[in-house]
Amino acid sequence: MKNKVFLGLATIAMVAVLSSCGKKPQVEIDATNAAITAAQTAEAAVYVPDEFAAVQDSMKAIMTEVQAQESKLFKNFGDVKTKLASTLTLANKVAVDAAAKKEEVKQEVDTMMTDIKAVIDENGTLMKKAPRGKEGAAVLEAMKTDMATVEASVTEAQSLYDQGTYMDALNKLKAAKEKADGINTDLKDAIEKVTGKRPGGK
Amino acid sequence: MKKRWRWVLVIISLMVAAPLLILLLIHFTPEPPVTAMERARKAISRAEYAHARVYARKLYDEAQSLYDSGVINWQRQNRRFIYFRHYDAVADYARKSEAKAVEATENSSSTSAGMKTRIREKISKLNKLSAEIDTLFTTYPLDAEIRNRISKGKFMLKESEVLFESGDYYRAYRELTDSEYLLSASYDHASADLKNYFKAYSTWKMWIDKTLSDSKRSHDYSIIIDKFSRKCFVYLAGKKKYEFNAELGTNWAGNKRLKGDKATPEGMYRITGKFDRGRTKYYKALLLNYPNDEDRKRFLSEIENGTLPSTASIGGLIEIHGEGGKGVDWTEGCIALKDSHMDVLYKLARKGTPVTIVGSMTDLQSIMNR
Repeated sequence: MKNKVFLGLATIAMVAVLSSCGKKPQVEIDATNAAITAAQTAEAAVYVPDEFAAVQDSMKAIMTEVQAQESKLFKNFGDVKTKLASTLTLANKVAVDAAAKKEEVKQEVDTMMTDIKAVIDENGTLMKKAPRGKEGAAVLEAMKTDMATVEASVTEAQSLYDQGTYMDALNKLKAAKEKADGINTDLKDAIEKVTGKRPGGK
Repeated sequence: MKKRWRWVLVIISLMVAAPLLILLLIHFTPEPPVTAMERARKAISRAEYAHARVYARKLYDEAQSLYDSGVINWQRQNRRFIYFRHYDAVADYARKSEAKAVEATENSSSTSAGMKTRIREKISKLNKLSAEIDTLFTTYPLDAEIRNRISKGKFMLKESEVLFESGDYYRAYRELTDSEYLLSASYDHASADLKNYFKAYSTWKMWIDKTLSDSKRSHDYSIIIDKFSRKCFVYLAGKKKYEFNAELGTNWAGNKRLKGDKATPEGMYRITGKFDRGRTKYYKALLLNYPNDEDRKRFLSEIENGTLPSTASIGGLIEIHGEGGKGVDWTEGCIALKDSHMDVLYKLARKGTPVTIVGSMTDLQSIMNR
């Protein structure tokens, strides 16, 4: 009788051990997927693309392992659980990094926007001082056209900024800034040529 | 005693049979294609890093789709009773997915490398075109629409350079294509205008040859104004003595047709008056005999043809004067020199000195080839 009780208990214990390791960790999978979605919402694909791709790849590898375990007679998701925990941590970090990078780019856009508006204003003032003689000259007309193009591009960048697409706004502003700086130099050169004195400022 | 031995035998038999049974169960369990799926996943990951999603999108999507089908099939098989599972289709999807992903990686690498080279070449080509436009047309009176297109084209070129630097070749290429369209079309349009302007080159050449041969014969001074290069050349006995920078009327391209058109006339003129300091607004001035007979004839013909209104006036008071050196074209049609150059010219010129004004002393082909 004692032996039968012992055998029964041993069987129950074995089943309990096997079943505790053999259950698919759905809660952990869902939590990790939610963290990846959160990273995606934080535009990780735009601001930290390599980190985000690495997280996605890790999750894909884990899911392959989950299926591999599901195919076995005796399943063991212990290793999967460990990997899910580290991928969850990584996904959370990627979301934080993406938000930080986005804020950094936003600050850069803010600074560049202020700088470029200052250059545009200065160019407007310089344009009035630029040598024009009796009539507006072709060179000045060309510069005015370029200035209008730069201003239109800044407006476009502002619209992109308002939509939250800071990276695109930044790229547009970089080109606009280079162009505005070029016009600024040309105007100062033209004024210096006539007055013999280089206008101050930038 | 016998009963006890029987129990011992049963237990020993079970202990041997159970592991054997388990081993047999495991042995006959169908093996899932874990390695094949892993290889496919890694291949897709490599394709992702090679930006195949952008540069070989179709192949990448196919690889991804085959992989997903493999996963779905695998899940479906896993839901069946263990000994009824078949993973052949999963393995097949995995192999196909890997092959597509490898192809996508190769395709993406070669496409992006090719695109990088093409973009670099195109940027260099368009920068040259942009510089040529600047050389030929910065001071050339083009219409506002063409100026806008050139400006937009140049800006897009700058934008594509920024995108290229950031590694976004796909968008850089798109911007470049638009930039190329704008710049090339504007260049073609402006070139056609310039070619039209240079149609009079044979006449200009004839005037130049005559002016130089007259100067040689008379051993006297002659002045030639080259409008395109903004130069004033002084010849003595057919040999170049001085070369000064000149500034012209705002609308200098083309011959003067009427008063107020801000064009600098073209023709063979003579100095008819000298005005020293205090007698002119512009330091010192040499008055030309514009309009000459040719100008009058052309003006009257235009009035008759109706290409000019009958109320139009031919204008006059075209001078070579001082207060130049501004670096821009600003006069109403006169030729402006720096005061120091005007001093030199004023000293050597006299009433009757020939002044020939031409569109260009160099033919268009030579200018383009510079």
